[in-house]
Amino acid sequence: MISKLILLIILLPLLSALFTHLLAGKLGRCVARISVAATLLSVIFSGVLLWLSLSGHLVGQSISISPWTILYFDSLSILMAFVIGLISLIVHIYSLRYMAEEEGYARFFMLLDLMTASLLLMVAAGDLITLIIAWHFVGVFLYFLLGQDTRNPSAYRYAFWTLITYRIGDLPLVLAAVLLFQAYGTWSLPVIFEQLNQAPHAHSVFGMALPEVVGILLALAAFARSAQFLLHTWLPYTMDGPTPVSALMHAGIVNAGGFLINRFSPVFANTSDVLQWVFIVGFISAVIGSILMLVQNDIKKSLGYSTMGQMGFMIMECGIGAFSLAIYHLIAHGVFKGTLFLSAGSVIHSARKDDGVPKDELYTFVVEKRTAKTHKPWLLMTAITLLMPLAILIFSHWLVAEDYFQKQGAIILLFFGWITGAQLIFATYRTHAQKLWRLVGISILSFTVVIIGYVFISHAFDVYLYPDAAFREKLFAAASIEKVRFDILMVFIALSIIIGWLIAYYSERNRNGKHPRYTGRLWTMFYALISRELYMTDLYSLLTRTILSSANKLNIWLRWN
Amino acid sequence: MPDILLLLAGLFLPLFPLSMVFNAVFNRLQHVVLRCILLIGWPHIGLTIIHSTDTVVPTWVIAWGLATSLFYALRMLALRGVGQWNSFLATSMWSILWITTTDANQNMHHLYTFAITAPLLLLAFLSAGLEKRFGAAYTGLYGGLALSIPRFAGVLVVVILAAIATPLFPGFFIMLKLILDTSTTLPAATLALLTVWLLWSWAGVRLLQGLIVGSASQGEATDLNLFSCWGYVIAIIALILSGIYLSGGLL
Repeated sequence: MISKLILLIILLPLLSALFTHLLAGKLGRCVARISVAATLLSVIFSGVLLWLSLSGHLVGQSISISPWTILYFDSLSILMAFVIGLISLIVHIYSLRYMAEEEGYARFFMLLDLMTASLLLMVAAGDLITLIIAWHFVGVFLYFLLGQDTRNPSAYRYAFWTLITYRIGDLPLVLAAVLLFQAYGTWSLPVIFEQLNQAPHAHSVFGMALPEVVGILLALAAFARSAQFLLHTWLPYTMDGPTPVSALMHAGIVNAGGFLINRFSPVFANTSDVLQWVFIVGFISAVIGSILMLVQNDIKKSLGYSTMGQMGFMIMECGIGAFSLAIYHLIAHGVFKGTLFLSAGSVIHSARKDDGVPKDELYTFVVEKRTAKTHKPWLLMTAITLLMPLAILIFSHWLVAEDYFQKQGAIILLFFGWITGAQLIFATYRTHAQKLWRLVGISILSFTVVIIGYVFISHAFDVYLYPDAAFREKLFAAASIEKVRFDILMVFIALSIIIGWLIAYYSERNRNGKHPRYTGRLWTMFYALISRELYMTDLYSLLTRTILSSANKLNIWLRWN
Repeated sequence: MPDILLLLAGLFLPLFPLSMVFNAVFNRLQHVVLRCILLIGWPHIGLTIIHSTDTVVPTWVIAWGLATSLFYALRMLALRGVGQWNSFLATSMWSILWITTTDANQNMHHLYTFAITAPLLLLAFLSAGLEKRFGAAYTGLYGGLALSIPRFAGVLVVVILAAIATPLFPGFFIMLKLILDTSTTLPAATLALLTVWLLWSWAGVRLLQGLIVGSASQGEATDLNLFSCWGYVIAIIALILSGIYLSGGLL
């Protein structure tokens, strides 16, 4: 019975795609209802599985059709299948009316179904070949979904960027799969993980431990899919596609990197340096994504960079060993960003008539990016920013676990989490900062939210996704760094915050005065750099043009033979 | 293997610059059936020559084959003619088959070769179809096929995806098999294969975009009739099934 349910979850969107295509001529636009009904059923079935899994009646079910066609439904697959199905259903329903005036209505729903099936297959893949196939198809179907409007060459241009970045990311995954097969002689993921856990360092590749090499390759594949720095340029530019596709992409597809790292957690648990690099790449992406988001004047592009920043944060969470928290993050971000995208159209539409936003201090800060003209208790803010994480640590030590200080990853995460939250609270409420008690009250409230959020949500996801406490410890251990390096990192972060506050403080004090010439020039250069998106797109365009022109010259010299 | 036989084999399992002969011949031929015969027969002649000598192919020849494959995959990026694209892809694909010649099972070599070439036969027919409808099979010249002849465009998309070794088609499993064979013994060859695969995807997408994207500005062009369309669909299903079947032997 459960096996049939599992098969149906994936088969329903596939069958729907087939019937949507075949019956489009007869049913016209009503054909989309087949697609919605199939997705709804798929969500219901995955909901049933999730309920069974949560209640402990279902623990890891696998269906083996052939040596390389295995479906594996563990807690991660079940949770992800439900989330993907739900987001896809919302996008389907939204598209019923949104796409009604567009050409290729039936084709759109067919592609949406194929995309849903690919995503479901990806999360349910129990072997490496199925995973590669699903992983590859996600890129292919996304390309055609983004290019839904076949009249629009610009949409296809940026869809191509997406596809080629995804293909670049496919290749390390293929290589990782091949290396795992060479070592263990099977494509089956559960078997590979079992053997890996029994003897983690039994195999090596070119003098390096196998988990290390495979971990690097998998991380590269995840970076391409989750728009990490250097492989991110496709994300903010794929806005010419239909809004429902943007919603699906930002809410579901781009999160695949986090899923991949979680799926291969037994590999990462046996690495020594990979997760630290994952953290660094995630950190750079989070910072750059957030900076670039601030200079955008296009709502969808701004959301694109915001997604890059969020994905950076998600990858950072993996990098510190908080794998299950990354899954929570990708789900929360998916729901949040999906809602933003689906409402972006109506926001733009109503803003054309009247923006309707009260021009209060919050508006001037968030929209006009101007700070309020009130005097702020800088010292208090700085103290809270630095002291609060410490308070959280002490509180967590008392509340959560005795060994909390040993979980370096948790400490870093809390530090970042707090700073991000604190910056937002201070920035949002800075106008009322003269009411010190209010500020302190809000800070304490946010502190409580962080504690509750971290402790309960993290614990719930940890227990559900990784019930083995020893394995969770192993993940944290794999992500940990030497004490000296950790201390240096913490000092560096603290200094960055202090310098940031100082810069903000002095720029605020000199708001009406003249800036020294050198700082003014520095700021202009910095703004030019980020407004040109660090010249990354220009660089890639130049590279592409050079390759194409070289190919053309070669063809001319060789008379096209 | 005697050098003369090696050179002869390099003409049919193309090694640059001998590969230029195949491309010149293919582009001279105008009739689609002749092109298909050439596509089917040419690489098998090379394989037969290699098998007749019964000796091991030297590693430097495999490297030469990979370099040829990379070279043609790169040059495909700048092509606009569908026929020429087809012949370059054939060259790029066949030249990597030198890797398979290290395998003992000679029948499998022929099977790989046929499986990897099969989508190119369909593409040859589609190219002829474009020439018949528009006078030339050329990207960027008319475009907008998705709107003007949607059925034809749909088939074209799937056939190009099959040609560039997209999953479930035979090319995908053969590429996987080649990567599997070289990953531990010839890592440089593995990287070359992955790069070739990436370049095929890039070239394929450029070809597609030049044909299917844009407004349907041309005059009346007839779409594929249902009979032909189902013919292509059956051929594509056969390709997928053969890919899956083939994978059983490969993986």
